[in-house]
Amino acid sequence: MMKFVFKVCFSACLLISIKTNAEIDILITSGVDNARPVAVIPFTFKGIGQPNQDVAAVVGADLRRSGRFSPMARHLLVQQVDKYSDVNLALWREKGIEAVVVGSVEALADGRFRVGYELVDIFKKQQEMRNGQLVTVDRNLLDSYSAVVSADDLRFHAHRIADRVYEKLTGERGAFATRIAYISVDRNLPKPYALMIADSDGYAPQTLYSSSQPIMSPAWSADAQKMAYVSFENGRSEIYVQDIYKANSRKRVAAFEGINSAPAFSPDGRRMALTLSRGGNPEIYVLDLVSFRFSQITNSVNSIETEASWSPDGQSLLYTSDRGGRPQIYKQNLASNRAMRVTWEGSYNASASLTPDGKTMVLINRTNGIFHVAVQDMEANSLRTLTETELDESPSLAPNGSMVIYATVYQGRQVLSVVSTDGRFKARLPAKQGEVKAPVWSPYLN
Amino acid sequence: MSIIKLGKGFVIVASATLMFACASKQDSDSQASTNEPSEVITPVEPPRVDPEVEARRINEEKREARTVYFDLDDDSVKPAGRALLEAHAWYLSKPENSGVVITVEGHCDERGTPAYNLALGERRAKAIAQILMLNGVSSSQIKTVSYGEEKPANPSHSESAWEENRRGELSYEG
Repeated sequence: MMKFVFKVCFSACLLISIKTNAEIDILITSGVDNARPVAVIPFTFKGIGQPNQDVAAVVGADLRRSGRFSPMARHLLVQQVDKYSDVNLALWREKGIEAVVVGSVEALADGRFRVGYELVDIFKKQQEMRNGQLVTVDRNLLDSYSAVVSADDLRFHAHRIADRVYEKLTGERGAFATRIAYISVDRNLPKPYALMIADSDGYAPQTLYSSSQPIMSPAWSADAQKMAYVSFENGRSEIYVQDIYKANSRKRVAAFEGINSAPAFSPDGRRMALTLSRGGNPEIYVLDLVSFRFSQITNSVNSIETEASWSPDGQSLLYTSDRGGRPQIYKQNLASNRAMRVTWEGSYNASASLTPDGKTMVLINRTNGIFHVAVQDMEANSLRTLTETELDESPSLAPNGSMVIYATVYQGRQVLSVVSTDGRFKARLPAKQGEVKAPVWSPYLN
Repeated sequence: MSIIKLGKGFVIVASATLMFACASKQDSDSQASTNEPSEVITPVEPPRVDPEVEARRINEEKREARTVYFDLDDDSVKPAGRALLEAHAWYLSKPENSGVVITVEGHCDERGTPAYNLALGERRAKAIAQILMLNGVSSSQIKTVSYGEEKPANPSHSESAWEENRRGELSYEG
């Protein structure tokens, strides 16, 4: 039965991918039994011609990708309506659908579109007094919203609608209207290495920087305006910062003797953690982006310290260190400078980061020689593997902590994959050509 | 552990140097005996092999190989790699080559995280540099750079590719 569900969503996704012509297509590799059944009815279109985007398809794909929802296949939909007042609650109740998304797209004279949407809770009832009598009434409209957007922004706006739906139905902020950055490697090109930015579902990829030499470790600034990354353009690892929306804004921020790597902006955007081996040994430093002063955070004689990530409060750093013989995760408070080892299971733990609530750590764990994305409860210290893929690396959390994007190898190629942080939902975002790696999820975009 | 290994390396190099030292002594002796005092002809090299030249030729052949390989998660140079580095060191440490500079690149296979591998690649490059220096190469002749897992020799994702990719590469400047 699950297989059938997969088939349906598989073909639905294929349809979407043909329409959107993205460089990356999402293929669902593992679904969820208890995802909530919802329906996203195709938005009606008012105007001449066709809108350039299928808004409902984007919303549906987002909801499915979260692992929390199972949108009904289009051919099974029992109504084609575009307003709350026309939604036949009884009909949807019969099908066990919990919520219905309806909406419309209207072409305006100036070339822009008016997008309207309503979210209907099929089961919600409320009691109220009518003529002195307590009666039960349907109180089903959860959200409604309308906006005017340019043709270019229409598809991204569909992600904003998905965010609203997600938030109304789960109580958590959605993270679909976000972007991902990643490195693509296509050895057939004169400049094989490229730093790319795309929508959170891989759509609309744009090249931020390309090079004949490797690029690695992209990192978003807290305001999502800048990217830091490592470039080998001068024959060695150096750290650059580039404003995403300004031309000629590339700045080299670290080019010391040895390695300059693993940049990570602080949550307040004023500092950057990074790894330098200028003293002979790779250590974690914090660069004050205002005064441009470096302060050394770790100081070890013979071990590697790298891959710093900030705790959500900006008070501590998590990093990878092999001071105990093998790479493990340590947490160090920046005020006290006291470091604590936090991983104990497996012979290799690295690339750690914390969810926004600070309760869960996402990391790469090697057990029996296989590298998996794993999560660890920070209180219980229990480690759980999320993936069945091998050679996983570079896990990055969505800003709401609900999903993890990571690089893995599938059928001999490096590809991006996503897994829900609870491990219940998995999808793959294979590139059309070449290999893709080092994905990083953006902060919320405002 | 590594000191013992380095010690072994020393013995090999020391004996090699001794051998060459003897060879050059023999060379000067034989040259003196062939010089005829009365004749003013330019001495013609006899058709025999000059041990010094032969040593250079052998060394040059050995130095055609410029890659040493490592085990997973490890930065110690294996015996085969050590012998190769000693051949390079023999050349680099000659006084007339004191201006020759080499770059040592450290590389990793794709397993593990890119940032950790960048640091591991640096360890490998430095391990190679250390052996070269212990064999008489000046630190000013060696540059080290790590590429981590970013520049695989073989970009496929297999055990045999990984073996090729865990490596240190020497390149001569100029």
